[in-house]
Amino acid sequence: MSEAALVLERVSKIYNPDGAQPIHAVRALDMTVAEGEIVALLGSSGCGKTSTLRMIAGFEAVSGGAIRLKGREVHRLAPAKRGVAMAFEGYSLYPPLTVRENIAFALKSARVAREDVAARVDEVARLLDIGALLDRYPSSISGGQQQRASLGRALIRQADLHLLDEPMGQLEPQLRALLRGRIKHFIKERGMTAILVTHDQTEANALADRIAVMEGGVLQQFATPLELKQRPANLFTGTFIGEPPMNVFPAAARAEGDAIRLTLGDGVALDYAAADFEPAARDAMLKCGAVVLGVRPHAVRLTQDGAPARVTANQWLGDQSHIAADFAGATLVTVEHDRAPLAEGDRIDVAFAADDLHIFDAASGAALSHGGRLA
Amino acid sequence: MGGIELIDVTKRFKSDVALDAVSLRVAEGETLALFGASGAGKTVLLRLIAGVIEPDAGRIMLGGRDMADVAPEERGVGMAFQNFALFPHMTAFDNIAAPLTAQRKGAAALKAGVEAVARLLKIDHVLDHAPRALSNGQKQRTALARALAGAPKVLLLDDPLRNVDAKLRFEMRLELPRLLAAQGATTIYVTQDYKEAMALGHRIAVLEAGRIVQIGTPAEIYLAPATLGIAQLFGDPAINLLEVTPETDAHGPLARLSDMRAPLDPGLGHAVGRPCVLGLRPEAVRFADADAPGAIPVTVEAETPLNEKVVSLTVTRRGREILVSRPAGAPGPAEGPAHIAIDAAHALLFDRETGARIAPRAPDAAQRGTAKRGAAA
Repeated sequence: MSEAALVLERVSKIYNPDGAQPIHAVRALDMTVAEGEIVALLGSSGCGKTSTLRMIAGFEAVSGGAIRLKGREVHRLAPAKRGVAMAFEGYSLYPPLTVRENIAFALKSARVAREDVAARVDEVARLLDIGALLDRYPSSISGGQQQRASLGRALIRQADLHLLDEPMGQLEPQLRALLRGRIKHFIKERGMTAILVTHDQTEANALADRIAVMEGGVLQQFATPLELKQRPANLFTGTFIGEPPMNVFPAAARAEGDAIRLTLGDGVALDYAAADFEPAARDAMLKCGAVVLGVRPHAVRLTQDGAPARVTANQWLGDQSHIAADFAGATLVTVEHDRAPLAEGDRIDVAFAADDLHIFDAASGAALSHGGRLA
Repeated sequence: MGGIELIDVTKRFKSDVALDAVSLRVAEGETLALFGASGAGKTVLLRLIAGVIEPDAGRIMLGGRDMADVAPEERGVGMAFQNFALFPHMTAFDNIAAPLTAQRKGAAALKAGVEAVARLLKIDHVLDHAPRALSNGQKQRTALARALAGAPKVLLLDDPLRNVDAKLRFEMRLELPRLLAAQGATTIYVTQDYKEAMALGHRIAVLEAGRIVQIGTPAEIYLAPATLGIAQLFGDPAINLLEVTPETDAHGPLARLSDMRAPLDPGLGHAVGRPCVLGLRPEAVRFADADAPGAIPVTVEAETPLNEKVVSLTVTRRGREILVSRPAGAPGPAEGPAHIAIDAAHALLFDRETGARIAPRAPDAAQRGTAKRGAAA
């Protein structure tokens, strides 16, 4: 991952620009995708991720900015001239062709030798577990199978960039984890550059080297999954990434001599040593006053002498337990990897280590500090 | 005596058997999760209990009373659906009040009833909104509130969280048990999401093609699934399945994986020589040192984080794929060569032909001796 494969420079998209209500779907998006990298465009519907994908593919003209792929300016080229392979959310397989013909079709224009085509179709068919379906027609197979066939048609192509639109949303749950692993391996082994669009943060985290979180047409943060978890740029990103989601509590921050006191709802007060925060982080928090305190579920510690909470649910899911508790006038969620011997109504004591605190500005949502260090 | 009882209930649509002699008992105040793929017959079962359709054979008892001649509105059943089914021209308040109006409650009692249930569901601030002015989450809460408003003895919830986003689904999943407990109703909760079934059901009934194939507590279903099919439906990532033919040695029964001997439960001696499928949940497989007993050499091909876990795709020398999961933050190997070890206590064995689970038998005294040595090895 060294050279830039794809560069988006101040790319924007305005629908209905001359109308009464122009829609600014994408705003001045800057993004660089390295060669061999898997990037996820993540956000809820209307965030601008699909418009971005369609501009890269060429199905949508850019309203402003430039798109370069392998050094070539492509944003004025027809889709077929861009060197981009795409799998669509709606599958869009050709109904009169068998699954095999659909997948091989992508190689026709590339003038690949017949025996090569057969070998490559077999390879992606094995990858996607559709070997037994190759001679069936799209209308006779399930949605999950169609989605796998559509993925096969994109992955078989050699292209400068692979675009995958909600590639796994319809996959059979029993296959999903296995196929995620196989597809990631397939892409990495071949050094392919891929962008996937998804609303599912689980899928983005599983597959992507870096995730671009979008909201309201604006790129909120572009970082590795680990960085997004540990250093979310704002409250939106912080609560969008992670399941169970980050616990958040409105709080007032105040200096009490050598201590920092965070007062949460119901008068719950958490005291930290001033030294737990680097000076700039401390100043930012105290200047702000009204903050939001964020703690990831796995970072909640059950201790002997923490702040009191009362268990409202303990749900065992086979491989982990999700425990909810009333805490500081809100709901606190924590995760255990075993069954936890807690029942509804139990009192527990919880503590948050200073290292695990995320502090956000309550007014703007911008992150102020993570683990005591300035954001 | 409360609760729901179905005795040999059969329902056909023309020649299709939607439910095939289903018998089921839900205790008073219990929440039963009814789990199955679409088309399994879950919704048909709910509609039969509600009285919207009638069974071709069998009896349906609510609170000990046969419902054969009882009209739907007389059954004391509250329902909520995945598509919300709110009246678009009525406010949230009037939607919720509908069952109370039918009960001819006085205006004051009606208002108090609606407001109490709205507070419980945190929609008391949007009661004068029409459905179109509500978010999906609020619509779904309104539909739930309507189901709860008449304080029905029986609550039928048909996949109510299906059409709400992941975050809200998670939030409601944690909230619902308390709500249902406060209500005290006997509840059947239909879902296609195994996590919801495990989290909400005191027991889970697994429905497959109109038949109940297993009914038990979440622990029974997850740890001792009756069939291979059920084992695959519960768990994310899905259970690893490996074809094996158990053998035996001085230490007891074992499965051969990549020429390594993986010990099996000592009570599985009767499975030796039978074509089987070994089921290994990803959390029952762990990375091990090369010299650990029973360590199987693999190649790690990809690492895919999954919420609070990390899932690794590993491939054995014989090309078998095994998913391994570990808590996020726990150390694991990079892509490339590694070793895994399986936890024999959590390995499940299924008959390859029938798919039925082969349960360990209590070993007799002699076998128990070898079992101990086997476990130590």
